[in-house]
Amino acid sequence: MTEPLVTFRNVEKRFDDFVAVRDMTLDIHEGEFLAIMGSSGCGKTTTLRMLAGLETPTGGEIHIAGRLMNDVKPHERDTPLVWQSLALFPFLTARENVEFGLKMRGVGKDERKRRALDWLERMQISEFAERNVATLSGGQKQRVALARSLVMEPRMLLLDEPLSALDANLVIRMQGVLTRLQKELGITFVYVTHSQSEAFAMADRVVIMSQGDIAQIGAPKDIYRAPANRFVAEFVGRNNILSGKVQAVDGDGTHILTPQGAFTAQTPQTALSTGQSVSFTVSADLVSLSTTEPDAVNKAQATLISEEFIGSVVTLFCEGVDDLEFKVQMQERALMALDLEPGAPLWLSWETQNANILGER
Amino acid sequence: MSARRKIDFYALTWRLPIIVWQLVFFVGPVLFMVALSFFLVKNYRMTEAFEFVNWQRMLTRGFFWDSYWYTLFIASLSGTIAMSVAFPAAWALAFRASDTLRRWAVFLLIIPFFTSYLVRTFSWYVILAESGVLNAMLGYIGLGPFRMLNSHFGTVVGYLTLTLPLAVILQTVTMANIDKTLIEAARNLGCKPLATIWRVVLPLSKTGFIVAALFCFILAFGDFVAPFYLGGSQEPTLPILILDTTKSGQQWPRAAVVAIMMMLTLFTVAFTAIALAYRKPKGVR
Repeated sequence: MTEPLVTFRNVEKRFDDFVAVRDMTLDIHEGEFLAIMGSSGCGKTTTLRMLAGLETPTGGEIHIAGRLMNDVKPHERDTPLVWQSLALFPFLTARENVEFGLKMRGVGKDERKRRALDWLERMQISEFAERNVATLSGGQKQRVALARSLVMEPRMLLLDEPLSALDANLVIRMQGVLTRLQKELGITFVYVTHSQSEAFAMADRVVIMSQGDIAQIGAPKDIYRAPANRFVAEFVGRNNILSGKVQAVDGDGTHILTPQGAFTAQTPQTALSTGQSVSFTVSADLVSLSTTEPDAVNKAQATLISEEFIGSVVTLFCEGVDDLEFKVQMQERALMALDLEPGAPLWLSWETQNANILGER
Repeated sequence: MSARRKIDFYALTWRLPIIVWQLVFFVGPVLFMVALSFFLVKNYRMTEAFEFVNWQRMLTRGFFWDSYWYTLFIASLSGTIAMSVAFPAAWALAFRASDTLRRWAVFLLIIPFFTSYLVRTFSWYVILAESGVLNAMLGYIGLGPFRMLNSHFGTVVGYLTLTLPLAVILQTVTMANIDKTLIEAARNLGCKPLATIWRVVLPLSKTGFIVAALFCFILAFGDFVAPFYLGGSQEPTLPILILDTTKSGQQWPRAAVVAIMMMLTLFTVAFTAIALAYRKPKGVR
């Protein structure tokens, strides 16, 4: 693999006694769409601000294109940012907003007007070029903000929750605009969001952060199917988490005894010893449901408590031994066929290959 | 079709005091002053008349116009100085100071207004006099003594006493309301730190700054104390000219001409300034 565009080496950022980012080591590759995801206060925005030079790391090193960037001022960088609030200049027209960065770089008047109009055209808002940005709609402002950053022709674009102010329909449309732009331009996008759907829909790789640490890095599918630890398992998707002690490890997998029964999970890379406490997850959509005892290696009894209907997919909430909550996702059609009442006794089962043991954290 | 043009007596009752106040103490006196400017003075006594002689006498005299342009110049100068000197302080208070420090600073800047402006002006005597504190200190490093009282310098110092705290407060409040993300956005797009002041900060604080400058100008333009006590009436400003005119030969009508000219000037300046301050940005329909 080629040299990464950005490297974080043991980067730390403290604000007095608060540690926003802790010992972060991360590579960002040329041309990838990387999403940094986490709940508020997890350090994702601080990470992005360090890339833009708006915060200085208190430890470690950040390199961009091989150059140590720790003390490089924001205006000396080529890291345009699309802000959550968009931060368009209200005293300028749409075109003048787009021209701003070029003007700062000393690009001549005609040249920067031409390039700004090109980008407004490309973002399909050229008819608003001479309008004040305050008079534009949310989606139009969004496009001006993107044009203002992309007109700089950067190698990397930073985006800080740019879609959070838009309504649901527009979010889906803008996601399409963003992924298409990223593929066409072939530049690196670093996208900060708290929204799993945005991150998973657009990113090649997702970084999940929790309290200043990286909890997991991986392709959306890998994170979804194999969460590395309890935090990610709880944060991402709908996972069932069971805890117990290792009984044996053999060719079939790792045998674990839990209050809910004995189960077999996939043996992880890291060595496990007999008697060790472990947790494993099974994704809610990989759990099968039956009213009679199934012929399966992994099965547990539970009682139906409630269901949550979100379109064609339904999530059932069931209660197992020791009040453990099981979540089962299934097609609404399949559920209709079963004709269940709350309080109904059920059998849940899953394949060994879908039970993933969580790492320490 | 029902015409709903009923008079709301309840609302009128509450509005009445301010309307009466304005009529009795502002509109009335102004009208009287306008009338007064056409009166004549005979044997040191005013007589009702409608003659243009006062207007003609004042507006054709060099000393009036000298005084007019001087007042306009020195009030503008002190306004400019107040706005410039206030800016670094206000900038630091708005962008660098903590909220607590900013609150204290604004509070301390209001304190000068607790004492009479006349008292504050007289305290400059101690500092600016020929044998005063400042000249004594300059003497130690082999400079001076400088003549600071009874000079243009004294006048400007007096004006600043009046306007500087106000300029700092208005500028601070204006800039503290700026969305700091916009400054970061400018930096992110390659704007150097100092350049953000006129690329972002000033365009965003236009309204507040014009109003602040307007206040500084109005206060200085109409001030009598500073040019009289610290400037020593060296070059008489218009307020001093009014006083002189009333003293010499009871020329109240001619003083009224000066006063009306001052009011017209202030109206023009204030109207232009407010129009500029609230001008719509480009591209707003």
